Amino acid sequence: MLQRKNIAAAGPEKYTQEFIKKQIEEFNIGKRHLANMMGEDPETFTQEGIDRAIAYLFPSGLFEKRARPVMKHPDEIFPKQRAVQWGEDGRPFHFLFYTGKQSYYSLMHDTFGKFLDIQKYQDHMRAEGLFSQDTKQVNLIGSRWMIKEELEEILVQPISDHDYVRFIQLLERILALPYCSREEEYIQRFRRTLEVQSKKQKIEPLQYDENKVAFSTGEGRRKTATATATVRDNGSGKITVNGVDYLHYFPVLQDREQLMFPFQFLDRLGKHDMECKVTGGGRSAQAGAIRLATARALLSFVTENEVESMRQAGLLTPDPRVKERQKPGQEGARRKFTWNKR
Amino acid sequence: MESPRAVFRTSEWDPANHGDQHVGQFYTIPPSQVKTVFPHGLPHRFQQQIKTFNEACVMVRKPALELIGYLKKADPAHPSVRYVLYGERGTGKSLSLCHALHHCSLQDWLILHIPDAHLWVKNCKELMPSSYHRARFDQPIESSVWLKNFRVTNERFLKQIKTSQKYVWSKREFTDEGRPLGEIVDQGVARVKNASDAVGVVLKELKAQARPGSYRLVVGVDGVNALWGQTTLRKEDRSLIDPSELTLVHNLRKMMKNDWCGGAVIATVTQTGSVFTPSSAYLPQELLGKEGFDALDPFLPVSVPAYSEKEFESCYQYYRDRRWIQHHRGHTEEGKKELLFLSSSNPAALERICAFL
Repeated sequence: MLQRKNIAAAGPEKYTQEFIKKQIEEFNIGKRHLANMMGEDPETFTQEGIDRAIAYLFPSGLFEKRARPVMKHPDEIFPKQRAVQWGEDGRPFHFLFYTGKQSYYSLMHDTFGKFLDIQKYQDHMRAEGLFSQDTKQVNLIGSRWMIKEELEEILVQPISDHDYVRFIQLLERILALPYCSREEEYIQRFRRTLEVQSKKQKIEPLQYDENKVAFSTGEGRRKTATATATVRDNGSGKITVNGVDYLHYFPVLQDREQLMFPFQFLDRLGKHDMECKVTGGGRSAQAGAIRLATARALLSFVTENEVESMRQAGLLTPDPRVKERQKPGQEGARRKFTWNKR
Repeated sequence: MESPRAVFRTSEWDPANHGDQHVGQFYTIPPSQVKTVFPHGLPHRFQQQIKTFNEACVMVRKPALELIGYLKKADPAHPSVRYVLYGERGTGKSLSLCHALHHCSLQDWLILHIPDAHLWVKNCKELMPSSYHRARFDQPIESSVWLKNFRVTNERFLKQIKTSQKYVWSKREFTDEGRPLGEIVDQGVARVKNASDAVGVVLKELKAQARPGSYRLVVGVDGVNALWGQTTLRKEDRSLIDPSELTLVHNLRKMMKNDWCGGAVIATVTQTGSVFTPSSAYLPQELLGKEGFDALDPFLPVSVPAYSEKEFESCYQYYRDRRWIQHHRGHTEEGKKELLFLSSSNPAALERICAFL
C-alpha cells in the first residue's frame, strides 16, 4: 500500500539558500526595471518609491492593506529559516545542538560569559585598590527590553515564556553590577527605544484676529459626526454651537458635561469663548466630536506637560468605535434570529 | 438686621419697598400670604421647593422690579397698560409674575391670576357644548377649579362687588341684580355645568366695574400665547377646535383688550406647555402669532434674562445655606464654576442640576 504524503506533518515549506539568493537578484533587477518604467534614477530608487510605483501600476480596491500587491526585499517576505546545521558527515556544527534550543542556550552562555568578565574586572580593581561604586551607569531611560517575539526573530527559534524571563533576569543582574558599562554595547543590542507619544501631536500655533485676541481652531470626529471648534481667549465661558446657545442645543446634562471636560481639566472654565459647527451623527456623537475638537484647539494655549497629561486623560484620542456591520443570517450585528426548535 | 452669613437674604418682605439695592437677594413670603395670594399661582417645581425648604423664598430681580415700578407709576385713570414678560425657557418669567402679583395683593388690588392658560387649551377630559352660545364649548372642570382658587384669593372683594344685571342659569336658578359677586362664584362652583359661564360673568362684571374710584384690577396670565395659538382638543367629528370656540378663552380675550381703565394686565409668553411651537421660539412675536400680536398691540415688553453673576452667586449661596447641595465638591470654588458652566446661568437648569447633588 502506498504511503500517502502527510503534507501537514512535514512542516512549513523550506526555502534553500540558493533559492533566496536567486530571489534577491530578481528583486534587484526588477527594482531597476521599475525605476526605468517610472522614469526615476535606478541607483537612488528607495523602497518608498517602489511602494508608490506598485500602487500606481496595480491599483487595488481591497480594504485589507496586507492583501494588496507588494514588492519588497525577499528577506522581509520569506521568513528566516535556520540553515542546515549539520555537515555531510552528520555531525552538527554547533556544540549545543543536542540541547534542542541551541541558539537560546548559546546566547545565555555568551551573556553569562560577559557577566563573569565583569566580575573578574571588578575583582581586579578591588585588588588594585581602585574599586569605586560610582561608575558610569547604563542609560535605561526611554528604552525597553526586547519583547519575546523580537527575541524569537533574532534567534530564528521559538522560545518559551520561562526562557525569556530567565534571559531578562540575567541581563538585569548584569546591570546591577557596578562596572556594567564595560558591556554596555552588548546590552544595548537587546533594548528598543520607546517612542514619545506626545511628540506626534501637531500643535497649531496661536492665531490672532483683529482685536488682538488669540484664538485657535481644532477639528474632531466621532462616529459620523464632524465638528470644527474655534476657541478664543479672554472670554467668559460662552459657547455657541451652530449659532445656538449650548444650553438649547444640548438640553441633556450629559452632553454639556462632555463639553465641559476639556476646560475643566485644564482649569480654564470661565476664561475662553467657543464657537463650533457640527454636522452628522446623533446627540452623543456630536458632543464627543466637539469635545475632541476643543481639546485639539486648546493644545495651542497649553504647555507640553499639560499636553502629555491631556493625552493620558484620553482627551486627544479619537474614539475608534463605529457602528458594527450587520451580518447575513443574523438580525443585527450580534443578535441572532429567534431560535426555533423546529 | 442681616447677619453677615445671610448676605443673599433680605428681611424686607414687602415688594413695594424693594429697590435696586435688593437685586439678587431672596425675600420670604409669609406662609399665610402664600396660601391666600397663590393658591394655584406658583409653578409646580417652586411649590415642591417651598415644601422642601419650608419657606417661600423668591429672588428679587430686575424685570420684576421694573414691573413693580411701572405699576406704581401707572395712572388709574388711563386705560390699562399691558405688560408682556418674555424670555428663554426657564429664566424666571412665571416667578417674576408672581412677585408682581404679590406686590399688587399687598397694595390691595383685585388679583385675577390664571396660572397657566395652556391648561385650558389642552388635555381637557370633558368638553360640553355651551348652554349660552351654541357654537362654543365649555370646560366645566377647569372653570370650577379656577373659581375655587379665585374665591380664596379675593374673599374680601367678592362681598363688596355687586352684580349689575340679572343672570339666569336655568329654569329655576337665577341671580338677581345687586347681589354680591360671591354668589355667582358659589353658583359656578356648585353647579359645575354652568361654571364656565360663571367665569364669563365674573370677568365681565369685574371689567365693567373697574373704575378709578373703586378697586384696582390686575390680570395676571401665564402663557398668554395659548389664547391665540392652537388647541389639541377635538370635536366629535375629529376636527380641531379653534381657541375662540372655547368659552373660557373667548371671555379671557375680552379681558385682554385695553378698553377698560383702573388696572393693568401682566402676561407672560412661554414656550413650555404650548402646543405646536418650536422650542427655540421665545420672542412674543413668534409665540403670539399675527392674531395675538395684533390683539395685544400696543404692549410693553419686559425681557427676563438668565442669572447675572451676582444673582447666580446668591442663588448658589441660598442652596448651600439650605443644605441643598450635599456633594463635597459642590462647596468648592471649582464646583461652583462647574455649576455655572453646566447650567449656563439658567435658573431652571441650575435648580434641576442641584436637585440631585
